[in-house]
Amino acid sequence: MSDWHVDADLLEQYEQGALNPSRVMAVETHLTACAACRGRVPVDITWLTGNWSVVYDHIHVPAIGPVQRLLTRLGLPEHRFRLLTATPALRWSWLIATMAVISLAVVAALLAGSGQTGGANRLFLILAPILPVVAVSGAYGPGVDPMHEITGTTSSAGPALVLWRAITVIGAAVAVAGVAGVLLPGPGWYAAAWLLPALLLCTGTLALATAWSLQAAAGVLGGLWLTVVSFAVNLWSEQFILLAFGPFAQIAYLATAAAAAVVLIRRRRHFDLGESR
Amino acid sequence: MRRRRLRPVPPVSEQSSDAELLRAIAAGQTAALRVLHHRHAGWLRARLRRRCADPDVVDAAIQDTFVAVWSDAHRYAETSADAAAWLWTIAVRRLLSVLRGPAHRWLSSPSGELPDVTTAPSAEELVLLGVEHGALGPALDRLSPELRHLIEATALDGLTVREAAKLLGIPEGTAKTRLMRARIRLRELLT
Repeated sequence: MSDWHVDADLLEQYEQGALNPSRVMAVETHLTACAACRGRVPVDITWLTGNWSVVYDHIHVPAIGPVQRLLTRLGLPEHRFRLLTATPALRWSWLIATMAVISLAVVAALLAGSGQTGGANRLFLILAPILPVVAVSGAYGPGVDPMHEITGTTSSAGPALVLWRAITVIGAAVAVAGVAGVLLPGPGWYAAAWLLPALLLCTGTLALATAWSLQAAAGVLGGLWLTVVSFAVNLWSEQFILLAFGPFAQIAYLATAAAAAVVLIRRRRHFDLGESR
Repeated sequence: MRRRRLRPVPPVSEQSSDAELLRAIAAGQTAALRVLHHRHAGWLRARLRRRCADPDVVDAAIQDTFVAVWSDAHRYAETSADAAAWLWTIAVRRLLSVLRGPAHRWLSSPSGELPDVTTAPSAEELVLLGVEHGALGPALDRLSPELRHLIEATALDGLTVREAAKLLGIPEGTAKTRLMRARIRLRELLT
């Protein structure tokens, strides 16, 4: 290689486009071959840092986790996943509450021993349908979501967001309660007996939320459930489980839940944005 | 990700050679990519700016280049190529794809496939290294601009005729004809 090198004047003329074509070619070919001359090209350090930070951000895009990959395969779009997971208010409060109540019921059942489990089973069956409702009540509204004011102004706010979040939290709460139901001693069908009451309470809450705020609806329906059920326990303590969770009761729950769903669909435009009216 | 290596790669410094840096990048060292970026982004920018007047497009091409290097550094074979020439072949093709890509560049995938081109200097490049001294310089200056652009794109940038045609915005057949005419004309001027 020759000992010809690009000097500062030549470089400046090159950058300004003042060189004739053959010299441009000479400079470019030499730059490719000579590290010393490459290092002499003046660089704006601000530009360099900015350019690097973009590259850095690009190569540090978070990796896709297994849960998201599964949900994507099931047809959930990526932006939806972001929307649901980027809401910390959704995640911790109700998850901890659900776990606490469930583990309380399981521990109570285990402490009671295999002989006398009626009380613990009763406790579980009464409390389990409430959990998804509690979860739903924490899913939307100014009281629970610190980002609510900002979310409320976006085009995705309103019924669609409420329902997406409700589905998410109900799914998680049902999974947790389902695990606990399997762990409980007692007849196997107990593990599933609470699902239809829970469905009724959830759809009922959402239907009621078209008139009141989500939290008020959840409180009213949850309180109603607890009152009625404890009243029933006092009335027929012997056959309580068969009466409240037997086949006829289950069909009644399903029918009422369907009615609530119809109300919900017909009144979906009345979903408020967390204001009581 | 394929970031597994059999033996650990020693940490890099400002003095590391390009080949060492690329080895470290292949092993997943961000610091090595940073050194490589700071070492090469400047002259790549100066050179790309002569091909494209839009500074945003040039910046995007440089960013895409280093993102592509990050994921494909293991494909760099140090025996066959000089790292700077290798980077340039990536950069000029990134520029092409940014120019041709959708209007919103963040929608396009940042790292496409790297071209399988040999980066050993071609005969024309070797001649161009001596362009400052020989009779080639004046001959190139007397070439008409559209013919010269083709010589630049193929001999200097290492593009194929098809890619050169895309860069210059002309049909491939036209590019072939012009390149042939340019070579004939150069031969006339040099003899």
